[in-house]
Amino acid sequence: MSNIVTDGLGKRYGRTVVALEDLTIDVRPGEIFGFLGPNGAGKSTTIRLLLGFLHPTAGQATVLGMDTERESVQIRSRVGYLPGGIALYDSLSGEDLLDYLADLYGRTAPSRGDLLDRFEFSERDLRRPVRDYSRGMRQKIGIVQALQHDPELAILDEPTEGLDPLMQRAFYGILEDLRARGRTIFISSHVLSEVERVCDRVAIIRQGRLATLQDVGALLARRKRNVEMRLAGPAPVLDGVPGVSGVSANDGLLTCQLEGDVRPFLRAIASAPITDLTIEPAHLEEAFLEFYADELGLTAGRDGASRAGQVAASSELPASADTQSATPVGAATASDADQEADR
Amino acid sequence: MNLVLLGHTWRSQRLKVAIVAGGLLGWGFLMPIIYSQFGVQFKQLFDSGIIPKQFAQFGEGDVFSLSGAIGLGFIHPIAITLSSVFAVGFAAGAIAGERQRGTLEVLLARPISRRQLHATLLVATLLFIAIAIAAILVGAAAGAAAFGVLHEIDVSRLPILWLDGVLLYAAIASIGLAASASFDRLSPALGVTIGFTIVSYFLEILGSLWPDASWLQPYSLFHYLRPKELLSGTIDLFGPALMLAVAVAGVAWAVIVFPRRDLAAPS
Repeated sequence: MSNIVTDGLGKRYGRTVVALEDLTIDVRPGEIFGFLGPNGAGKSTTIRLLLGFLHPTAGQATVLGMDTERESVQIRSRVGYLPGGIALYDSLSGEDLLDYLADLYGRTAPSRGDLLDRFEFSERDLRRPVRDYSRGMRQKIGIVQALQHDPELAILDEPTEGLDPLMQRAFYGILEDLRARGRTIFISSHVLSEVERVCDRVAIIRQGRLATLQDVGALLARRKRNVEMRLAGPAPVLDGVPGVSGVSANDGLLTCQLEGDVRPFLRAIASAPITDLTIEPAHLEEAFLEFYADELGLTAGRDGASRAGQVAASSELPASADTQSATPVGAATASDADQEADR
Repeated sequence: MNLVLLGHTWRSQRLKVAIVAGGLLGWGFLMPIIYSQFGVQFKQLFDSGIIPKQFAQFGEGDVFSLSGAIGLGFIHPIAITLSSVFAVGFAAGAIAGERQRGTLEVLLARPISRRQLHATLLVATLLFIAIAIAAILVGAAAGAAAFGVLHEIDVSRLPILWLDGVLLYAAIASIGLAASASFDRLSPALGVTIGFTIVSYFLEILGSLWPDASWLQPYSLFHYLRPKELLSGTIDLFGPALMLAVAVAGVAWAVIVFPRRDLAAPS
C-alpha cells in the first residue's frame, strides 16, 4: 500500500483561482519522493492538503492509509513535517524547543542525538535562545524537530534552504539512512540538483497541475548530451546522423545535442580534425526543460538547451512567471492562487 | 485539551500573570483604604452639591460603602485594563498571533486537533482570568481587614463575586478567542476584541454618569457585573446567565469556524 495517495486532488479559492487541480500521485513505502516545481506551482498547497491545513475542493487523499480530511490528527501523529521557511518559538532555547515539540507528540525523540551530531550542533548551541540562531541553524533545528521522533513518513518542504554545502551533504546522508531504515520521505523542492541527487521518483508540478511522475533515472534518460568539439579543419557532416540535433558550427567550434546510441555519431566524426572534444550529460534541469519543450513552445534543441543553460546557472526551476508567457493558460495561475490563499 | 500545550502556555505567561495579579492585588487593597479614610469626606462633598450627584456613581461603584468601593475597584479603568491583558490581549493573540508568526503550523503539525488547541487556550485564558479576579478580591479583603472594615461585608459572598467577575471576562475572552480563530493576523483579531470591550464599557459608564443615556446600560456586558449588589445579598441570575450565554456563543463560533478554515501558507 502506498504511503501517500492523492486521487484527483484539487484546491480552488473562489470560482476562478486554481491552486491545485486534479493531482493524482502515489508515494511508495521506503522511497524518497521528490515533489518538484517552480515557486508558486502548488507544492506547499499539496503538502498543506496532506496535513489537513487546507480542505480540498475536489478529490481526496490518504496518508499512511488514513483520510486527510477525517483522520488528520492520527496522520500527524505518524508524520514528521518541516514547513518551508519554518518559524520557531524564538524565546525558547534550542533544547527546550525540541523538548516541547517532541512532548507534543507524546513520544520520545530517539533520533535527536544522532541528528544533532550530524548537523554539528553543540550543547552550547542548544542552550542558546532560538532568536540568536542563524538562518542555517534554524533550518537545521527545523529538520531535527521533524525527524527526531523517527516518523514513518517525513514531509519536508524545501529542506536544504539556508543550509551550506557541508550541511546539505550531511542532510543527504540522513536521508540515505532513513531510506535504508525503510522510512518514506516526501521532499518538496525547486532545487533540481537536489532532487536528482537523492530522490527515487519525482513528480513535477506546474501551475497547479501534475506535469509528470517518473523515476528520476527515467527522467534523466530523456536527457540529451551536450557536445562541444574544437576543430583544426572542416567540420564533419552531421546532418542526418541519428540522434544528433541542434548542430551549430562557428570559428572552429562545433556544438550539438546528442541522444540515444552514440555509435553513429562517433562514426561520423571519426575522420574529423578534432583538437578537443567534450560530451556532457545534461542535468535534470535540461531533462525537465526538454520534457516541457512542446508545452512551452520551445524548439527542442537550441532553445531548450539555451533555457536549460540559464536554469542550470541558477540550479533552480524557472518561476511560473518566466514560463507563463510562453504557455497558454486558461485558468488562473498558481501564483495568483497563492496570493489568494494568503488572503 | 492538551496538557503539554497548557504547561507551555503557562510557562510563557507566568511572569505576566504574576505582574498583573500583583497590580490587581495592590489595586484591590487600595479601594477599602480610600473608603475607610476618605469615604465620609467624599460623601460630604457630594451632599454639598459641589459635584453633581450623578458622578457619585461610576459604573455601579462608589466610595461611600465598602461594597461600593469594591465595586468601583472592579469597574475602574485601571482594573479593566489589567484584567484585559488576558481577556483581550492574550485571547485575541492566542491563535492569530501564532498564525501571524508562523508557529501555528509547527504546532498543528503535531497530533493536536484545532478544537483541542482552542480548548487548551480557552482553559489557559480562564485560568489567567481566575487568578487576576482572585487577586483583586484578595487585595480588597486584605485592605478591608487591615483598616478594620471587613465586617461591613459578608465575606462568604466573595467567591460569588469572583465567579461573576470571571464570567464577565470569560465572555470577553471567548469573543477574543473566536476572533483569534477567525483571522490570519493579530491586528484584526485584537481590533474586534478591543472594539467590543471598549464599546461595551463606554455604554455602561455613559449610562451610569448620564441618566438620559441609562437605557444603553443593558446593552453592555459590564452592566451585569454587580459587585455591590452581590455583596449586599442580592443575586440576579439574568446577568450571569447572559454572560455565560455570550461566552458559550464565542466558544461555539470558534469550535465551528476554526476547524473549517483553510490555513494557507503564511505570507
